[in-house]
Amino acid sequence: MTEALLVKEAGAVQAAPASGARSFWRRLRTQRAALAAAVVVALLVLVALAAPLLTALAGQDPNAYHPEAVDSAAGGVPLGSFGGIGAEHWLGVEPGTGRDLFARIVYGARVSLGVALFATVVQLALGVTLGLAAALGNRWVDQAISRFTDVVVALPLMVMALALLAIVPQSVPRPVLIAVVVGLVGWSGTSKVVRAQALALKSLDHVAAARLSGWSTWRIARRELLPSLAAPVITYGALLVPANISVEAALSFLGIGIKPPTPSWGQMITEADTWYATAPTYLLIPASLLFVTVLSLTVLGEGVRVALDPRAESRLKVGAAKARMRKRSSR
Amino acid sequence: MSRISVISRRVAGASVSLVLAAGLAACAGPEDSSGGGGSGADGKPAKGGTLSVLNSNPQQDFDPARLYTSGGGNVPSLVFRTLTTRNREDGAPGAEVVPDLATDLGKPNKDATVWTYTLKEGLKYEDGAPITSADIKYGIERSFAAELSGGAPYLRDWLIGGADYEGPYKSKKGLDSIETPDERTIVFKLNKPEGEFPYLATQTQFAPVPKAKDKGTKYEEHPVSSGPYKVVKNENDGEHLVLERNEHWDPKTDEERKAYPDRIDVRSGLDSAVINQRLQASQGADAAAVTTDTNLGPAELAKVSGDKKLAERVGTGHFGYVNYLAFNPKVKPFDDPKVRQAISYAVNRSSVINAAGGSSLAEPATTFLPPQKSFGYTKYDHFPAGETGNADKAKELLKEAGHEDGLKIKLTHSTDKDFETSPEIATALQEALQKAGFTVELDGLESNDYSEKIHNVKSAPGLFLAHWGADWPSGGPFIAPIFDGRQIVKEGSGNYNAAELNDPAVNKEIDEINKLTDLDAAAARWGALDQKIGEQALTVPLFHPVYKRLYGKDIKNVVISDWTGVLDISQVSVK
Repeated sequence: MTEALLVKEAGAVQAAPASGARSFWRRLRTQRAALAAAVVVALLVLVALAAPLLTALAGQDPNAYHPEAVDSAAGGVPLGSFGGIGAEHWLGVEPGTGRDLFARIVYGARVSLGVALFATVVQLALGVTLGLAAALGNRWVDQAISRFTDVVVALPLMVMALALLAIVPQSVPRPVLIAVVVGLVGWSGTSKVVRAQALALKSLDHVAAARLSGWSTWRIARRELLPSLAAPVITYGALLVPANISVEAALSFLGIGIKPPTPSWGQMITEADTWYATAPTYLLIPASLLFVTVLSLTVLGEGVRVALDPRAESRLKVGAAKARMRKRSSR
Repeated sequence: MSRISVISRRVAGASVSLVLAAGLAACAGPEDSSGGGGSGADGKPAKGGTLSVLNSNPQQDFDPARLYTSGGGNVPSLVFRTLTTRNREDGAPGAEVVPDLATDLGKPNKDATVWTYTLKEGLKYEDGAPITSADIKYGIERSFAAELSGGAPYLRDWLIGGADYEGPYKSKKGLDSIETPDERTIVFKLNKPEGEFPYLATQTQFAPVPKAKDKGTKYEEHPVSSGPYKVVKNENDGEHLVLERNEHWDPKTDEERKAYPDRIDVRSGLDSAVINQRLQASQGADAAAVTTDTNLGPAELAKVSGDKKLAERVGTGHFGYVNYLAFNPKVKPFDDPKVRQAISYAVNRSSVINAAGGSSLAEPATTFLPPQKSFGYTKYDHFPAGETGNADKAKELLKEAGHEDGLKIKLTHSTDKDFETSPEIATALQEALQKAGFTVELDGLESNDYSEKIHNVKSAPGLFLAHWGADWPSGGPFIAPIFDGRQIVKEGSGNYNAAELNDPAVNKEIDEINKLTDLDAAAARWGALDQKIGEQALTVPLFHPVYKRLYGKDIKNVVISDWTGVLDISQVSVK
């Protein structure tokens, strides 16, 4: 009898992801802001992937110098209004070099988005693994991992990244290296969230039942914990991406990020900082794009969080309180 | 996770680049004024008022023994008079050396190994005590003390017994190679001919220091003035320095310093953007303000050149300086002269200059010597690249050298932004060299690491961005450290002869020119030597920087010499 109940319960859990995914999409679709954000993010990714096509269309190369497009005697300020925006240079040119800004922006999207997404994956993978290990391991494993996590939390990310980037040979491809380094130093937040959630879940009846029925730790983690952890982890991940874009920008600013002449948005904003008064478009264009990207990802992240949160469903609907009362009474 | 604010990082970075710009200015002096000369306002300069100086770098270690200056420095020269000094005139005449405390430029013996100076009469310190030749000897001796290090190495290298002398605190005997037969005569005995000794005598180590007032390392808090101003306040090691008139300074003994203002207030530690912003606004006390170490950046120049009123308040000057590509022929493929020549042909000086701030802040260089008369500038262009590079000729040479399929090379630079060895300049070179068949890998190093590596013969890369400025406006200190085989430093950091050129003919010519006491004749020989060395393509001269600095509305009598390139504080009037 007990066994049958357990099997039934386990089956219910197994079925949960399928219906969860369906309801997730349904709930995500009802949020217009999140949908809009998703469209923007998809567009940005598309632009990054199609960078060579788009620059060919514009007839420009991101690294070609156009000294004729700037006023050398005036410090290299772009000739023409709005930073040299025109038929030839769609978004104007970079002061000093005259390099085409449109070409640099679309190629820069590859670096900025690519590095940020890859770094986020690394952070989540590490964070979930270590967080789960701490929650499910014995006292010593938990202590060791948790204290180590505390140390990593306390270490300033930038200093760690600087140190790591300084000792790795220059021959390693820079974007991959930066993504890995940012991933290696930025996983501690995820780990803490996962451990806390997993500990809370562990004490729930269905997990206890699984343990009592002799499931292995690994199986419990996979079947009982991970599905419930998906919501907080995905939410956290959606917020990590914009943060990682900023970190890449800061690293580029410190001169240990992407190597020139490869463009990245962070690098462009860095270079533009002195030009805000005389060539404002040079700063405004990459800065607005970075802003839009970070905003879209944040909104999308919030949308995903809401859609994954089973309790949020009722809050999404008008008259939620009534609905909840009805449910309770029917029980 | 800690998230970094891009904005605050950017601000931090801006201040870093400021310090760098100031550092550049500190080691360089200004020079030649083409546009900034003359009075900034109507009317004759008059006495009185307070002049403000807004700087990035503090007047650190304000002790004549410890300062490393070109021609005695700008602010230090207000307090410390020296045996000789620089001529305070606009342009080329300003690069001449003239007598200061001494009656003339010194009387050399036949082979320029003994130099004799006579002091003017009636010279006094700020307390009214007379200045004697023994005080000048003592001032030089104390610069040998380990605790007062910081000055240029020439005295140690040139004076007989200088290499082993430890300064007056350790060795009571003094330095025998400086003699003071009477109160107004001083004789220097050198271990080799040095026709340019009068230039060296402009440095602050040649300022008199009364032995009774010497407080060792604390002397910098209130050094005894021999010049038109005395120190009344020195806070935080030169961060805030206030100078007031020295009543015992007699203008009749000093033809160089005009000393119009009554008071000079030097504030340092300011961000360069702040300095330029304040000078642009020129409000209140800032109307009577100048800067001695902060140039206009490219973006600021773009703003200033669009505003006629502001443009009138920009002083333009040239300091003897060159930015170049250095080869280390020990590293392949740079051992092949054809490869070095190909690179010389391929460089696009226009794009390099744009990366360095545009044609107003840098002028193309085809010679190693700067284009000023006093250096003996002799025009040559052995590997004409034109304005934008000659890729065809470079390809031809590469083919001759056996690299018809192109050549992979590495260019080392520092990661400092907006600096003379910046990634921006390296990227501009990369683009131009690519057109000539080179595949250029950029190797950016953090700045300390960079300067350590390039100045060590064991770790010097094959091709890197370098720069050089001289301690005085002559070919000697410009050429010898870079091309004299005996100045190669084999151990540790401090080697500037990157090509490790040790050519007996070059070494001999350097010795020959050093014997000349006719500075004009010496200049011509330096120019010819530069042209000769240039044939070997051991460097690719890229550009000579130009200094553009703002000054306040009330500033009059702006004088910018080819020696320093920045306005001379001793000439400025605020009334």
